[in-house]
Amino acid sequence: MRRLFFPGTALLLIAATLSASAAPATLAQQINPPEVGVGEEVTVTISVQNGSVGGFSLPAVDGLQVAGNMTSTNLNIVNGAVSSSVAQIFTLIPARAGNFTIPGFDLHTADGQVLHVQPMKLHVLNGGPTPPATAPTVSIMPPPGAQRGPVVMPQPQTQPNPTVPSDTTQETPSAPGTNLTVPVDKDGHPLKVFMVITPQTTDAYVGETVPMRIEFFIRYDVLAGQDALPTIKGSDFLINSLSTRPFQDDVTLGSQTPYHRETWLTALSAPRSGDFPLEMERDTYWTKPSVNAGNDPFGNLFFNRPQLVHGTVSSNQLVFHSRSLPTEGRPANFSGAIGQLKVTGNASPLSVAVGEPVKLSFAVSGAGNFDYVKCPILATDPNWKVYVPTSKIEYDDENHTHGVKTFEQSVIPQKNGTLSLPAATFSYFDPTTKQYVTTPIPLPPITVTGTPVAATTPSSGGNDVTSSSATPAALPSTELAPNRMEIGSLYSSLTPLYRQAWFWIVQGGLATGLLAATVLFFVHSRSVPDTTRTDRALRERSLHQQEDAMSDAVRRGDAQSFFLAARNAVQLQLGAQWRLQPEAITLAEIRERDPHLAEIMEPLFTQAGEVIYSGLASDNLNLAEWEVHVRRDLLQPQPA
Amino acid sequence: MKLFSLRLSVTLVACLFFLPSLLHADADLDAANRAYTEGRYDESTKLFQQLIAARGYSAPLCFNLGNAEEKTGHPGQAILNYERARYLAPGDRDIDHNLQLARKQAGLQPNSYRWWEIALRLFYPIAGWLVIAGLVTLLVTLIGNIFRTSLATALKLPPEVLRTAFRLVFFIGIPVFLLLGFVELSAVGFTSRVEGVVVASKAGTLRLSPFDAAEIVGTIPEGELVTVEQRHDDYFRIEGRDHRYGWIQEKELEPVIAGSFNAR
Repeated sequence: MRRLFFPGTALLLIAATLSASAAPATLAQQINPPEVGVGEEVTVTISVQNGSVGGFSLPAVDGLQVAGNMTSTNLNIVNGAVSSSVAQIFTLIPARAGNFTIPGFDLHTADGQVLHVQPMKLHVLNGGPTPPATAPTVSIMPPPGAQRGPVVMPQPQTQPNPTVPSDTTQETPSAPGTNLTVPVDKDGHPLKVFMVITPQTTDAYVGETVPMRIEFFIRYDVLAGQDALPTIKGSDFLINSLSTRPFQDDVTLGSQTPYHRETWLTALSAPRSGDFPLEMERDTYWTKPSVNAGNDPFGNLFFNRPQLVHGTVSSNQLVFHSRSLPTEGRPANFSGAIGQLKVTGNASPLSVAVGEPVKLSFAVSGAGNFDYVKCPILATDPNWKVYVPTSKIEYDDENHTHGVKTFEQSVIPQKNGTLSLPAATFSYFDPTTKQYVTTPIPLPPITVTGTPVAATTPSSGGNDVTSSSATPAALPSTELAPNRMEIGSLYSSLTPLYRQAWFWIVQGGLATGLLAATVLFFVHSRSVPDTTRTDRALRERSLHQQEDAMSDAVRRGDAQSFFLAARNAVQLQLGAQWRLQPEAITLAEIRERDPHLAEIMEPLFTQAGEVIYSGLASDNLNLAEWEVHVRRDLLQPQPA
Repeated sequence: MKLFSLRLSVTLVACLFFLPSLLHADADLDAANRAYTEGRYDESTKLFQQLIAARGYSAPLCFNLGNAEEKTGHPGQAILNYERARYLAPGDRDIDHNLQLARKQAGLQPNSYRWWEIALRLFYPIAGWLVIAGLVTLLVTLIGNIFRTSLATALKLPPEVLRTAFRLVFFIGIPVFLLLGFVELSAVGFTSRVEGVVVASKAGTLRLSPFDAAEIVGTIPEGELVTVEQRHDDYFRIEGRDHRYGWIQEKELEPVIAGSFNAR
């Protein structure tokens, strides 16, 4: 999209420059890394924000060779605020060991501001990458299908090869007017898309990790996109995984041809010896305008739409010479580690009881092929039992050639006293000196208390994952519990109940049934009247009516009505309690069910019979007292 | 009487049918144990493996196989079988003893269960059955409540008694059922974790990505218990006990619960 609207981008840049010029210019500087070995690269970055400075160089320092420089321009628009920065990146290679200081100097911006670059210090150690025995063989061949797509790599005969720098200029970024000549296509135009790989060396040992730079250039006016990351051709090399977000910048190559560049820093290694072609490729696509072959005057208007075309871009092809490691002087514990490595060791705690573990920690750091770095080997020592180590890698750089690999290993003392830990050594091959190096690792003595183990089986010295016998013998005090003689409950599967389908089907079925039953219950309870409740309500209403009738009869002095209502009330009460019809409650029935209650009820029933059936009432009948008696003593729920 | 005779006959026939296989199984167990006690650990391992393949898993069989593997010098397989035995019998002290001993021999940290872990592991399967029982009880109660009157008549009980009984079941049963449901959810979460044991000789290789050419980010010692999170072709993304993540090849890992890797 940026290239699609190139004029718009230019206008935006102008506007941004004008806008950014309002803010004061600031300067940032960095030297990375501040400590390197001889021959290793150092990057010095000086960036100016919101200011424009012309091209400048670093002050010359004896012993530091400027291998190249590049310019990177960034434009940021955040919430309408525009800021721009221009970074000048220098690549230095120290020629000798020692402390260097790059002197400070001043930069003058276009609007007259003066920015001061502070002095930068660099510490250069002895040792570094070995200069290759032979210069890398470079041959740039036209990739297959170059005639079909827009990508045509330069012919080796007709084009000089500044595209691929030599060893001394590796890691040299392409910069305007520097050492990179743009390859051209068959029409003589700068190539639209091309890829350049730059390994640090093309002559290495088997398994040695070689840093490599991959640069993918897209001409600024080309509408091109990428489908995939670059991949290595063939199966002769192992390469570290590439980031999906490469470093991106814009560069000017050749005769002021602007390019967009994507850069990866990775590392490769050859698993076997020999000469192998080294080449990478990348799937890409670009838009290609179609040609209006006919005489249709409207063809260009309606049919000249760009077509999307896929293709593969191949890089320059190199020949990689992979050398076998020397067999002479190879240590027995050499695991294939190649590089410049340092190893340190530590132990904790320093005081333990017999049988308690001491944790050994080893750290292998530096530059090398960490995949092949194994735990330092411990010597056979009957006083210690040795366990399998664990490992962890932390890389310091993008191409995974610098880092620290740490190992943790447990050892257990078998006797008491002040014991020396088993002697630990680490071996690797140093390609600089072309020699194997075996480094002893000093470990502190351990104070061991407690009773020594009665009998032990000496552990083997091999303790790494590559060793043959790392499992020590069992302690006599910790023997395995004996076998079981019964077969036990058998299960056809260990799958838990909760992961079995039938369990959830049964539960689902029951839950559905419960839900359906609940719905059914509510529907049923609304459609069928509750006869029990209705009967009870009727009984209670009748009881209240009889009680009211009693009170009314007392007020009127009507003994006949009173005793009739009182007897009815008692019959209702007892009938509800005994689940009988009220008419069925007679004195005989009460006597049969509860003789004691019959004695209490008898006066009422007798008096009621006399009054109701004779129609006469004794004058000495006190109806008010009878009412109290009936309500208090006879109409209360009787004990069952 | 005729029915009783028929039942007796069927039982006898069934016993006669299964007796040889039961005796054969015991003979196999004896043979495997004899090989173990006589120091023929390889043979013992094979016999226990055959026994499990033929009869199924049991805590004693897995335990014995773990012992044989440990004696054979296969700590990864030994720990795997001890883990399987512990899964079937979480509270068994002998199993835990041998497992911890094997882990110690392999240089691994102990991973004994705490008392509450044992209790939970024992209760989880029971909780599942209790949930089913609770659902059945509630269903029966609800249906019984609908047909309470007819039921009371059939049982010669006052309808009020049945009504009270049903209400009691609901008031007590529903909170208990909800509690069991919560336990079941917890069990589902717990059992959804897929664990495996590194069985690669000495150590498994941990890679950054699930490809053979991917960068190696470390190793996991043989016998270590890891949690499997994801699968990609023949690689598993795992989390180690030290919370390290990475991809490990399928062949370097065995599931504690056989077949559980298929769920990933």
